[in-house]
Amino acid sequence: MAGLKTIIALSFVLAIGFLLVILSSALFKNYLTLLVVATYVIAPIPNWLCSRAQNSDDFMDSGSTGIIDFGRFLTGFLVVMGIALPVLLAHCYLITYPAMAMSIIGGLLIYGTIISFTMFFQEEQDF
Amino acid sequence: MSSHRLFRFPKPQWVNSANTRTAGVYTAGAVFSLGFFFFIDAATFSKSSRNGSDVHVKFVDWIPGICSALGMLVINSIEKGRLNADSYSYSGNGVAWKARLVLFLGFALMAGGLAGSVTVMVLKYVVPEYPFPTLWFGVANVVANSLIMLSSVVLWISQNMEDDYTYNLAL
Repeated sequence: MAGLKTIIALSFVLAIGFLLVILSSALFKNYLTLLVVATYVIAPIPNWLCSRAQNSDDFMDSGSTGIIDFGRFLTGFLVVMGIALPVLLAHCYLITYPAMAMSIIGGLLIYGTIISFTMFFQEEQDF
Repeated sequence: MSSHRLFRFPKPQWVNSANTRTAGVYTAGAVFSLGFFFFIDAATFSKSSRNGSDVHVKFVDWIPGICSALGMLVINSIEKGRLNADSYSYSGNGVAWKARLVLFLGFALMAGGLAGSVTVMVLKYVVPEYPFPTLWFGVANVVANSLIMLSSVVLWISQNMEDDYTYNLAL
């Protein structure tokens, strides 16, 4: 279902995202915006880890959902952190406002690529 | 089921779906992150070159945020089923009482954090009548603590949805 075109399109979007973030740091000689890439790369990891950590065998036991919720909480935290961090840096005059806009857009493109990649290619593993 | 209702309007159907619950947990994380970064912004701004005044964010400003975060941790660590556990025989003696005591401590920490942030804002920034870039430290502190409280409320509500949902699933 997810064919070659999807992979090509996703890799283009990923490349554009990385281009924007790297430009936002290299144009202004200030490499703090690379933190956005790090944030968005770690953002899906708590979700994956915690979905592995749950015991999916006992279906009736409702007590084990706490760790999944913790992973989701951390993911939500990190996604908002990717937007809030450039805004913070720009507000405190550590980076400029154009660099902030470029790194936010680039970071959202990178995260969107990661999420859509997992959504496209997860279904075949499950069944 | 419908004859035992307390309120006139029925609860909408989407409230009990699993998707709403997941979205609630994500939203709680997002709101917590927003509050956290409001305060970090104030602390960074205090150190940056834009801060023209002599006033800086000290450890006093951090105390309310630490109290709120600890309160949130305490409240959400409690197993919700234990709050009514006296009706079950397996849970030993007075478990519900202990759970409610810990819950009370959590709520007290959180309310203390919010009240403390307002206190810091008033005593440190409003009474000496600082202009706005300095006043922002106090305002950000209050906003941060309110958002942490809101995040805890969202997390609590979305975790309490679980019961109805798993009940439907088990049937």
